[in-house]
Amino acid sequence: MTKVRSTTGRGILSAMAAAALGLAAMTGAAQAGTEQYIPTIWVDPDGCEHWVMDDGVEGYMTPHTTRQGIPVCRRGNVCGVINTDQMFATDSSRISGAGKERLMQFFQSTGATSYIITGHTDSRASDQYNMGLSLRRANSVAKVAQSSGARIADVRGYGERMPKASNASADGMAQNRRVEIICIR
Amino acid sequence: MKFAKTFLLLSAAAALSACSDAGPDKSVDRGIDEKHLSQLKAGVWIDPTGCDHWIIDDGVEGYLSARLDKYGKPVCSGTAPPNTATGDFKGGSTSLIGDSI
Repeated sequence: MTKVRSTTGRGILSAMAAAALGLAAMTGAAQAGTEQYIPTIWVDPDGCEHWVMDDGVEGYMTPHTTRQGIPVCRRGNVCGVINTDQMFATDSSRISGAGKERLMQFFQSTGATSYIITGHTDSRASDQYNMGLSLRRANSVAKVAQSSGARIADVRGYGERMPKASNASADGMAQNRRVEIICIR
Repeated sequence: MKFAKTFLLLSAAAALSACSDAGPDKSVDRGIDEKHLSQLKAGVWIDPTGCDHWIIDDGVEGYLSARLDKYGKPVCSGTAPPNTATGDFKGGSTSLIGDSI
């Protein structure tokens, strides 16, 4: 190490040392294996949560989901639930004229950007049969929606796999027999 | 000359340390437009497949996150063509930092 001769020289040396230390600290932080990144929650316009972080210059965001991949939401976008007992005969996916009329009115008055239609059943009959029946019913509803001028984003049949209530009671099973309409705004 | 060098080094070090570490809590946007991140305002970006993402331009920081329905599937609303963005999402931008348009 060279001998320090003047106060100015000492000042420069200490400044350089400080800068070097600062850089070392920064690269050290970047190379560290684990660094604490604690996010906060941002709620999107649909009411669903996202993890969000700002570490000074960069911003990061990702949806908050359960381990099953289901988004964590504070409110839902389901804007209509059709009790299939009132719209369809047992095992049928045919909608009556009166039923079509009611659906047309619903879609015309709701006026969302687009709709996602999902069909559901109770747990009686086989899983495979229920998957098919729920999709046929969802498609019937989507057809009416389209004829009313509504835009359909997706149509799905979930069969008995997404129950809303317990299938142990008659009342629960009735609640599970449904077609859900999600409104995208 | 020597003083200028000292000053430059010091200010460079100060500038580096200012932006380097926000601490473990990343829930706040620090600086001139300081705010808690829960206050961000989003628009919608449509990806090339036609599906929606929330997009936020917060000045220096940009955020993008998938729009999902209650079953965890992507929402592809068809509200705008692919590769477009809609909505008032550039609330954090200034003419100095970020996209002012």
